[in-house]
Amino acid sequence: MTIASDILQAVLPAMLGAPDAAHAPIQPVGAGAWWIGLIPALPLLSCILCGVCAAIKVKSKLPAWLTVLCLGISFMLTVWMFQQFAGGRSVTVAWEWINLGWTDSQGQRQALVANFGFYVDSLTCLWMLFVTGLATLIALYASEYMSHDVGAGYCRFFAAFGLFVFSMACLVMGDNLILLYLGWEGVGLCSYLLIGYFYKKPSAVAAAKKAFIMNRIGDLGLALGVFLAFVQFGSVEYKVLLDAARPYIEAAQAGHFDEIPFTVQLIPILLMVGAFGKSAQLPLYVWLPDAMEGPTPVSALIHAATMVTAGVYLIARTYPLFLVSEYALPIVAWVGALTALVAATIGMAQFDIKRIMAYSTVSQLGYMFAGLGVLTSTGAAFHVFTHAFFKASLFLACGAVMHGFAGQLDLRKLSGVGFMKGWQVVALAMLVGCLNLAGFPFTAGYFSKDMILAEAFVTPHMAPIGWILLLTAGLTAYYTFRVFFRVFVGPKSFEPGDEVHAHADHAHGDHGHGDHGHDAHGDHAHAADHGHGHAAGHGSGEFHPHAPGWAINFVLAALTVLSIGAAGLYFLGDHGGWVAKMVHESSANLPAVAHDAHGSEGHAHGTFLGMDPHKVMYYVSGIVGAVGIIIAFGLHYLGRKTAATANADKLVPLLGPIPKLAQGKWFVDEIYDFLIVKPLHLVSIVFAYVDKLLVDGLVNTFGWIPRAFGSGLRPLQGGNLHGYAVQMAGGVALLLLIVFLASIAGL
Amino acid sequence: MDQIIHPIALYLGLALVGLGLCVALPRARVSPQIIGGILAAAGLGVVLVLMGLKSKDALPSPYFYVFSLVGLGAALRVVTHPRPVYSAIYFILTILASCGLYLLLSAEFMAFALVIVYAGAILITYLFVIMLATQAPTEDRTEGLKAYDTAAREPLAATVASMALVAVLTGMLFAGSAKLEPRNAGVSADALLLQLPRRVEDGLKDAGLIDRKERVAYADGKPQIDVEGRRAMVTGPDGERWVGFPENLGVQNVEALGFNLLNAHPGSIEIAGVILLMAMLGAVVLSRRQVEIDEEAKARQARHLMESRGAEGGA
Amino acid sequence: MGADLIVLAQQGFPTPMGGATLAHYLLVSAIMFAIGLIGFLTRRNLIVMFLCTELMFQAGGLALIAFSRFHLEHSGQTFVIFVLTVAAAEAAMALALVVLLFRKRESLDADEWTEMKG
Repeated sequence: MTIASDILQAVLPAMLGAPDAAHAPIQPVGAGAWWIGLIPALPLLSCILCGVCAAIKVKSKLPAWLTVLCLGISFMLTVWMFQQFAGGRSVTVAWEWINLGWTDSQGQRQALVANFGFYVDSLTCLWMLFVTGLATLIALYASEYMSHDVGAGYCRFFAAFGLFVFSMACLVMGDNLILLYLGWEGVGLCSYLLIGYFYKKPSAVAAAKKAFIMNRIGDLGLALGVFLAFVQFGSVEYKVLLDAARPYIEAAQAGHFDEIPFTVQLIPILLMVGAFGKSAQLPLYVWLPDAMEGPTPVSALIHAATMVTAGVYLIARTYPLFLVSEYALPIVAWVGALTALVAATIGMAQFDIKRIMAYSTVSQLGYMFAGLGVLTSTGAAFHVFTHAFFKASLFLACGAVMHGFAGQLDLRKLSGVGFMKGWQVVALAMLVGCLNLAGFPFTAGYFSKDMILAEAFVTPHMAPIGWILLLTAGLTAYYTFRVFFRVFVGPKSFEPGDEVHAHADHAHGDHGHGDHGHDAHGDHAHAADHGHGHAAGHGSGEFHPHAPGWAINFVLAALTVLSIGAAGLYFLGDHGGWVAKMVHESSANLPAVAHDAHGSEGHAHGTFLGMDPHKVMYYVSGIVGAVGIIIAFGLHYLGRKTAATANADKLVPLLGPIPKLAQGKWFVDEIYDFLIVKPLHLVSIVFAYVDKLLVDGLVNTFGWIPRAFGSGLRPLQGGNLHGYAVQMAGGVALLLLIVFLASIAGL
Repeated sequence: MDQIIHPIALYLGLALVGLGLCVALPRARVSPQIIGGILAAAGLGVVLVLMGLKSKDALPSPYFYVFSLVGLGAALRVVTHPRPVYSAIYFILTILASCGLYLLLSAEFMAFALVIVYAGAILITYLFVIMLATQAPTEDRTEGLKAYDTAAREPLAATVASMALVAVLTGMLFAGSAKLEPRNAGVSADALLLQLPRRVEDGLKDAGLIDRKERVAYADGKPQIDVEGRRAMVTGPDGERWVGFPENLGVQNVEALGFNLLNAHPGSIEIAGVILLMAMLGAVVLSRRQVEIDEEAKARQARHLMESRGAEGGA
Repeated sequence: MGADLIVLAQQGFPTPMGGATLAHYLLVSAIMFAIGLIGFLTRRNLIVMFLCTELMFQAGGLALIAFSRFHLEHSGQTFVIFVLTVAAAEAAMALALVVLLFRKRESLDADEWTEMKG
């Protein structure tokens, strides 16, 4: 029996026909309320309004407030939607988009129906809650963060922001694969627009292009998957597809994968390729670290919390299709695990704190994919949920540091920021985020990671993945706290970054804050003058770090609270918590819960070192996390006197070439460049020549022909009377000759 | 066409004529113009001889040969002579030869008209203008021919085009006509006598065949003149009788031509008159010499005229 | 003597059409026309060029008279009268223009006037 059939044998009896209400058969789809269409429509409206602002040359922060307002209303509508619809599923059709019908060669009626409709079930609600919530908060953060750029750039930013949220909403709430694809492409586009926001910087432009192109590679797989789904099942709507997959699941349970057509097994593999591209898995992950060239709010929203989880969402949504394929889920699991490990190793050797966070995002995404692969879609969804909050909080804290220190992000040049005046909120947010990321006991990240780890050991044949994930957890804890111990604690020291000139006028003088100054300073729990954090330590020249204002602090505080609160969700409700409940009632209907419920029956049941993983994993992952933190403490805090050096530096020579390789990101980018980019470049040179010689040559020939004709005929117009007379006489003679010969021939 | 001349022979002869013409055209340096003339004459002669051989019994009269050869030779000289005055004079010779040919064709009036109008008026005008337009030789420039007179432009192209034209024309002409027989003169020309009873009376009187008092008889308003039988019914105090025509009573060319002109083409005469008037006016206007006077001089002249007139009036 | 001459004239002097067929006269006319055409195309002196056009008129007139005699119609000769008239008018105009042109450039060369060169 293959791996997949073992898995399914373990869980299918629960999935099919069990009278448990938690996984009842799919309820009929009812019609939904009209106002659900407002949830994507409001961000689109804000995008259009920002465009209008740009056209009328608004120079204030109006676009930001418009966006925050629209997103806020959208969030409240999402909450209301959650209140109304959790537990059922419904489809709201906003307008009829694609509705084609035809009769094929066998005389049967075929139809392609892809309406602008919204499929609302609990998975949708779960996703939309954190998408809209985070979007609102991060828009608020960005209103201050981007304030130095008011004018056309500001409007452009928020327009792309609104468009992004609209596309993400289409992706998540769409009721058919084509609308999902629309949202997919839309988020890719907005990612490109926002990464390349600083379009005058060549590295930003290159990073934007890289992101877009790598996404397109994945999108090809997704498109093929959608086409194949339509060809195979005759529809792209979820309500039809998910029901159509059911008959195959029985065959899959019995291990008769040969009864399932190859095309049906191919669909999830193609969809998976798309997910890998969008969610930055091996081998298509190299765009995500470079995407840090974009402004920090962009990194926080798009590349930590929403866009990159689109791949996870896709797999969760079409989970039944994945179940019928023999190899899809194992591939997903292995790719996820390996991605997690590789990204963690790279993150350990980077010095740019935003890059480190980017690699940690890739690594955590690997966790989520591994979770899906080991059949805990609950674990994956919970990890998505918690990761969104704490990763956003981490990114925004890094952004605050970058904003305040004129673009400085190198951890060898910053130290003791937490002790500087006005930075306490940032430091606290950073601490809580790091604890979550490292999986410190009783944080939300701890519970979600633990769920995945436990499931990895439980599921048959997936134990190696579990070990890899456990090792990665330790590495994650290490590099996360490396950042914290280097940057936020220790002796106070800083060097400003490259954007000193942009912020110098903010740092000097009391009245320099054009854009912070108007906000009320009163409702702030921290130091009264948050305008200037005068460093008592080693400033360079006259540079003063610029502590964050009320908007940044408020958002960071909110995210910190939410990260802590997310842990509580684990305990809300039945086994697995509130999130589990949300996921069970959706199409990502899972075998894992049923497995737990019937765990004592005689199914194949993996173990961890002989012990039941569910009970033991709490302790094991807690210990691994603590070990990582202690090592980081030892290497990066103890005895550190300056920003630039730490105990770790003594260890580096002992490890040989590995640190250098890790720092160079395992030279994956260079390998890609050599294998793919350079040959394409050569091909493009060839085609450039073809274009110049053949195409241009052809066009030029068309231009040359009349000219040659003209210059050939020009001597006839010599201006000379005799010349014309000779031509006339010759012409007459010729005509007569022709007539004469014709008459002779006729006779 | 074979009855007149073999076509290949015609074209070869014409080619020879063309070659001769081409060679005969004036050139800047020493040119073999005489050789050209001889070649052309030879070619033409060949053609005519061959035509004559075909119809040995009915050769044209020697007058035809003389007039045509003189005419063509003079035409050749018109075209090839470097000096324009000589060209004009040779042209007059051409006109005289044509005149001779017209006489052979029984067109006496046209022959005279040609000499009087063409040679006597048009060519003299040409000569005047040549004298007008030729620059007088000055001390430092000896009398010499201008370059544009001595050198011919593109002789070969011109010759080829013209000879092709001639070949086609003659070929068409010869191919179109089988055996060309002229009709006898006087058969229908005399039909005009029907409309000229007075003429008949005068002729008969001059011959002494009728009295002064006798007239041509009329029947039904028409004079009774029998053209074919060459007699007319004459009435007189002695009664009617038929009178035969003398030998020399016939319609002359001038009469016939005049009748045709005024009877059938009266409008054309008027138009011709208008054309001549226009030409005269045009020539007068065109050749007026424009004198440039600037405004100040005009004003001065006007004042001068006014003063002189006032002085005259006052005095 | 006078009567003999009159007889000769009336009866086609000395033989009908001078003994030659229409073809002979047309051949002469064609060759004269060709000579005139060659002269027009090759000579550069403006006046000689017009002289050659007159030569072409001559040739045409000869052909007309020959046809008139051939068909025993007097219209041909009438036409030649008008040809003569037009030739005279045209010669007057042409020569006036030549005089004007000569005044402009002090030369009778036709090649002087090539301003319409394309």
